[in-house]
Amino acid sequence: MTRTRIWTGAAAALALTAAVAGCSGGGEDDGPVELTFWHGYSEADGDVLEEIVADFNASHDDITIDTELKTWDSIDDTLLTALSAGEGPGLVAMPAERLPVYASKGAFASLDDFYADEASNTANLVPGAVEMEEVEGEKFGVPSGFVPLAVYYNTALFEAGGVDEFPQTWDEWVEAAKRLTVDEDGDGTPEQYGVVLPDHATVANGLWPSLFYGNGGGIVDGGEAVIDSPENAETLEFWSGAIAADQISPTGVDGIGADELFSGGKAAMTVGGPWMASIATENGIDYAIAPLPAGPAEQAASAIGVSMAVTVDTSRAEQAAAEEFLSFFLNEENSVKWSLGSGWPPLRTDIPAEAVAENPVVASLTEIAATGRPLLPGVVNSVDVLSAVDELTQRAVAGEDVDALLAEAQAEVQAALED
Amino acid sequence: MSADHPPVRRYRPPAPLGGRRRATGSPAGRNTKALLFLAPALIVLGLFVVWPMISALRLSFTDASGFGREEWVGLENYAAVFTDPDILNAVTNTVLYTVLFTPTAVIAALGLALLLNSPRMPFRSFFRTALFVPFVVSFAVAAFAWSYLIDPQVGLVNYWLRGMGIRMGNVLEDPTWAMPMVAFVAVWKLFGFYFVIFLAGLQDIPNSLYEAARMDGAGPWSRLRNITLPMLSNTMAFVLVFATIAALQAFDQIYVMTGGGPYGNTQTVVMEIYESGFRKLDIGFASALSYVLLVATLILSLVQFVFFGRREKDLS
Amino acid sequence: MSALGGTLTTARRRLRELRPSTVLATLALVVVSAIVLLPIAIIVLTAFKPAGEVNAFPPSLLPDTWTLDNLKEVTSELPFARLIGNSFLFAGGVTAFALVFDSLAAYALARIDFTGRKVLLVAIIATLMIPFQATLIPLYQLVADLGWVNTYAGLIAPRAADAFGIFFLRQFFLALPRDIDAAARMDGAGEFRIFRSVVLPNAMPALLTLGLFTFVNNWNDLLWPLVFTTDAEMGTITSGLTLLTGPSGIVPHGVMMAGSLIAIVPLVVAFLFVQRRFIENIATTGLK
Repeated sequence: MTRTRIWTGAAAALALTAAVAGCSGGGEDDGPVELTFWHGYSEADGDVLEEIVADFNASHDDITIDTELKTWDSIDDTLLTALSAGEGPGLVAMPAERLPVYASKGAFASLDDFYADEASNTANLVPGAVEMEEVEGEKFGVPSGFVPLAVYYNTALFEAGGVDEFPQTWDEWVEAAKRLTVDEDGDGTPEQYGVVLPDHATVANGLWPSLFYGNGGGIVDGGEAVIDSPENAETLEFWSGAIAADQISPTGVDGIGADELFSGGKAAMTVGGPWMASIATENGIDYAIAPLPAGPAEQAASAIGVSMAVTVDTSRAEQAAAEEFLSFFLNEENSVKWSLGSGWPPLRTDIPAEAVAENPVVASLTEIAATGRPLLPGVVNSVDVLSAVDELTQRAVAGEDVDALLAEAQAEVQAALED
Repeated sequence: MSADHPPVRRYRPPAPLGGRRRATGSPAGRNTKALLFLAPALIVLGLFVVWPMISALRLSFTDASGFGREEWVGLENYAAVFTDPDILNAVTNTVLYTVLFTPTAVIAALGLALLLNSPRMPFRSFFRTALFVPFVVSFAVAAFAWSYLIDPQVGLVNYWLRGMGIRMGNVLEDPTWAMPMVAFVAVWKLFGFYFVIFLAGLQDIPNSLYEAARMDGAGPWSRLRNITLPMLSNTMAFVLVFATIAALQAFDQIYVMTGGGPYGNTQTVVMEIYESGFRKLDIGFASALSYVLLVATLILSLVQFVFFGRREKDLS
Repeated sequence: MSALGGTLTTARRRLRELRPSTVLATLALVVVSAIVLLPIAIIVLTAFKPAGEVNAFPPSLLPDTWTLDNLKEVTSELPFARLIGNSFLFAGGVTAFALVFDSLAAYALARIDFTGRKVLLVAIIATLMIPFQATLIPLYQLVADLGWVNTYAGLIAPRAADAFGIFFLRQFFLALPRDIDAAARMDGAGEFRIFRSVVLPNAMPALLTLGLFTFVNNWNDLLWPLVFTTDAEMGTITSGLTLLTGPSGIVPHGVMMAGSLIAIVPLVVAFLFVQRRFIENIATTGLK
């Protein structure tokens, strides 16, 4: 009995496979240009993007764009294989710090001519956003998102803790966080933290770069590692002290864990991206948004960036079609629509604040948009640089010797840059 | 069911790599026959496994990124493999993982199989099923469920242990405990399969051997040492080799649970292969590292086969 | 039902003749099983927890209020019927082919004495020693050249035979007593008849074990369907679950557990379906 079943099953599967293989050879047609667009916008932002694409398709008889929603991670997992066999999408969106490595390996078409064209709507893009599209002076992408990290804070917890004003400096920040940290049972582990500062894999990898900037430090400057600086040593000592000694934040948390703590009401402040707004709402948390408190040197924040690029798996006609879409995406009407729908600030500096005032999240983020700095623009091996930064911050928060750690990180970052 | 077998079965366990030969027909005829049986599998393996392996070997001598131009770089990638401190770290971690995972999984599987092979145990069927269930759960889901259970804030295990006065802390962020934890998840997920293989191997040992030993007055411990374990050596070699291969290629649950952290403490060789190939787009280097791993695995497996497969010969 | 009753009577009889060592061993097994089943329990129970309880402190195993919201969300966010159908076709197709091809090859390796047998065996095992990530790109290029990206053929064909299965079955074919095919051989049966009518029926538990192993592994495979099917319509339930990850990588635990539950249930059903033949068979006859 069973034997027969197995054989019949195998035969059926064989027939099926052959049939499916037979139908799969769909050919090219010479109708409109078809472009596949991979992206990871899965929430309200995804709906708006679909709308913009639908508008574009409706207004362009000769071009059809098919979007394919994937997770940001799986775009990274599958783009390389797809491109290696000429099966890649025509357009792809990805986290901005991932663009240089693909561009440097020749995965993307140069967009210098596109940028030079006035009709491309790129003239008034936020300069920092454009900077992250450049690899060795050549532009390979168009930003679809650029927003500085901001503090999302729980207004109910602020009220309960008697903190009336949002801190403006690092010292005030730590002070407020201390007041908002609650260890009711006195067991040494607070039940509520004033702030959650992840020590690795932070939101868009941007928390510690932001803190470094605030004290006048940095990671890479002009293609050279500058991480081993007295400013950065000070920064690390200041914050690891606040985290370890004053327990204003849990340790060993990553960016995702930080978001979870905030959305669970267990941390009064988190440093995050625009999606925190909808997450907070979903979890019934009253929140407000504020810029990162200024460091001793300046107020600055690393930005979360998303880039769209045209892959080399495109014919000349497809590339033209892709550029047509990019300029459509960046036109005034769609810029406003995209910004309001996605909750990210407008990508164009010439969009007046009133245009996006109806969305309070966008309005508050637009105010601080200028303080955003691109993360490691043009750095091809960002993987190793970021893992060196992660190791540095994680060990520093754990209490290891900051100077030795910085020297080590400096060597690793420099090696990654020379790779 | 035992009635199906001849009353006296001359049992000869198979040798792991050699085995007894059946000589019927001419050698040429046997070769043709064998080829016909092997053809479907060899075509599939040749086309979809061996050919990509050969391509990967070629790529390991280039600076390929997967697309675009690629240039021959000779042994440069291999030189990089042997000089990169990150790779040394990954090798150390992989060895540690293998040492943590393989003996634990194999001994747990064997011990439980011995226990549940005894007809004296109540609820055998239930226990057997229960122990096998984790195997049907994917690594991704297993990693996700365990991470949730041991979460320092809302983890149930953490909470229960705290109730007993044990502070577990943030295991996955602890440089010492992260690796044992990800190895434990692999043991949890995989030992059920090894357990079933051991159960099968135990059933394969003819009862007559035990009866003879009992007549000679051998106690349970002596029967275990002199019959069960030697007769299982073949199964043992099989399980060990595949458990070791699984350990040397550890990736899934680590990727989900720690991403290689904290600061590289759970970064394994395959994590490095993945990162250099799919994150840094350095396919040449990833291929070279893969081949180094292949050679190391091959040597280790042969040693295991020779060592564990040999002992049963003493029995016949 | 009668099986359960039978188990209970045997259990009762055994309870009467318990020795202290058996009691101890049983207790140990209860503890081990509890640990082993805890994550399964947390998946099932969290799937029915409302969002507020999932991250509540103190945590609890059982939901205070049971909800179907998570399951509803999964089914509304994912075309899960389609995904499960794809998973069945993919995992089932691979399993069917692999059982046939692997057992044929294993038969030759175990029971036909041909030139170069040992070398071939080592070569086949060696193919397991290169990580899948290393050959993914050349393999993908090949599948793309065949025009099989986004097809069931592309998903199934590369796995229609595998070294583990061949080696696994070879071990059990080897262990079959040499005289079982003597009668058939004397009747003049050819090699294929012996394979089909003598060796395969005797190896049924091994085939079931391997079948389950292959099915489970392919059902649970994440990267494979993700890479070979860029079209969402072709995804499997396992690759589809990744889409439940929210922006910034937050995974809504309740929803993900509900999705995991949906992904596991067919496997558990399949397992229970073959379980009688599988573990019971192993228990009574061994894998031989």
